[in-house]
Amino acid sequence: MAEHKFGTREEWQAARDELAKLEAEQAERNQEIKQKRLDLPWVPVEKEYEFDTEGGKKTLAELFDGRSQLLAYNIMFGPDYSVGACPGCTSLGDGLDGSLVHLNHRDVTLICFSRAPIERLTAYKQRMGWQFPYVSTYITEFPFDFGLALTEEQAQQIPEVEEMIDNPSDELKDWSVQTGAALKDGLREAPSWIAFARENGTVYHTYTVVAPDPFVRPYFSFLLERTPKAPPAEDRAWRKDEYPD
Amino acid sequence: MGHATGTREDWLGARIALLAEEKELTRRSDELARKRKALPWVAVDEEYAFETEEGTKTLAELFDGRDQLLVYHFMFGPTVEGWPDAGCPGCSYTADTLDGAALHLPPRGVTFVAVSRAPLESLEAYKRRMGWRFPWVSAGGSDFNLDFSVFTEEGRRTGAGFNFGTPKHAGEIDLRRDELHGLSAFALEDGVVYHAYSCYDRGTDALNATWQLLDRSPRGRGHDPEGWPLRHDEYPR
Repeated sequence: MAEHKFGTREEWQAARDELAKLEAEQAERNQEIKQKRLDLPWVPVEKEYEFDTEGGKKTLAELFDGRSQLLAYNIMFGPDYSVGACPGCTSLGDGLDGSLVHLNHRDVTLICFSRAPIERLTAYKQRMGWQFPYVSTYITEFPFDFGLALTEEQAQQIPEVEEMIDNPSDELKDWSVQTGAALKDGLREAPSWIAFARENGTVYHTYTVVAPDPFVRPYFSFLLERTPKAPPAEDRAWRKDEYPD
Repeated sequence: MGHATGTREDWLGARIALLAEEKELTRRSDELARKRKALPWVAVDEEYAFETEEGTKTLAELFDGRDQLLVYHFMFGPTVEGWPDAGCPGCSYTADTLDGAALHLPPRGVTFVAVSRAPLESLEAYKRRMGWRFPWVSAGGSDFNLDFSVFTEEGRRTGAGFNFGTPKHAGEIDLRRDELHGLSAFALEDGVVYHAYSCYDRGTDALNATWQLLDRSPRGRGHDPEGWPLRHDEYPR
């Protein structure tokens, strides 16, 4: 019944040595791509934005909190989500607190954005026990300017989004129940990482990466790539306090 | 010393070109994940005893009713900086990020544990200090960490062969004496435990979210500055 091979220690060692070469090649390729990422031109941010934070209103420059780099994850949690944030994004958020202090000591401020009002973000952060600063983009055009959210008109012009709304998978239907958002509203938030640098008083946008890049997945997915068995085909996420027994 | 700047159009052109390369890297990474899972499983014949919060357990019992087990080999022993009060600072840095990820593994059929050589009381005291939630067990005086760091008779005899004999660290690490840092994967089927996968050193890079986040920050990872990383409660205020 087993779908996998069994072997001796010597057979494993030989196969693992081969795989180690491929892993080393992949690491080299990753190194080249990391360099290209650093070589992207920085684009000055000329518009003024204001955000709602737990500590009152702040500009984009103020979100850096005195450091020169700002790295933010945009959690799918729009104003229309009546239940709570996307469970997958929430699981990603669970993996961030362990990095917070280490990044802060490397001159990087780590935060999360969402478009729901700040009161709702703060309540959700408390429920999840998170430590990272959680900033609301409710009152600003920032998410639309930087591709973190789509307007209704924009959403209607994207065939892939229209297709998901018209013919949702079972997982997507469940997701709609979990977030309390109709798909036409819920799918307007873009799960993404966005990075900014600050130099001589100017803020620059440096990098954005959006789903389905594997980096926009909860961190446990990197561990699941190393388990003996393939993970289940269906792609469902739960909040850590809502797992079915 | 300023970084190259550009217009939104400049950025977008470069970003789209980079995206094609990132996608290619992802495809290769998916292929690697498939190859990892295709490695032959090797039955574990040795009996190991681990000290845990719930008493002494065998390797099969560490699965805790699930059929997959991930073990993080955490360096905490007599040759490690911090002994006898604290574990390795680098492993602690990685464990900080594993802690939030590991709690999502059991619902997916995977049990996660950290294993160290230090006695259970030391592990429990340090775990409380660090605020971690993952289970952490002591391999005590057993050969568990040695057995899953080198896989050849010669390696076991001489202590050489760390990280599949890759040249980096060759000759400087004696696995009979030194602790190692790595991840091993085991499967349990019909009462038999199988070893499926292990990775060490740079092979564990992807498991540490902080490295990945630094790699997406404007100034990148660069060289580690003096005094970084430290244990998360040891940074100067």
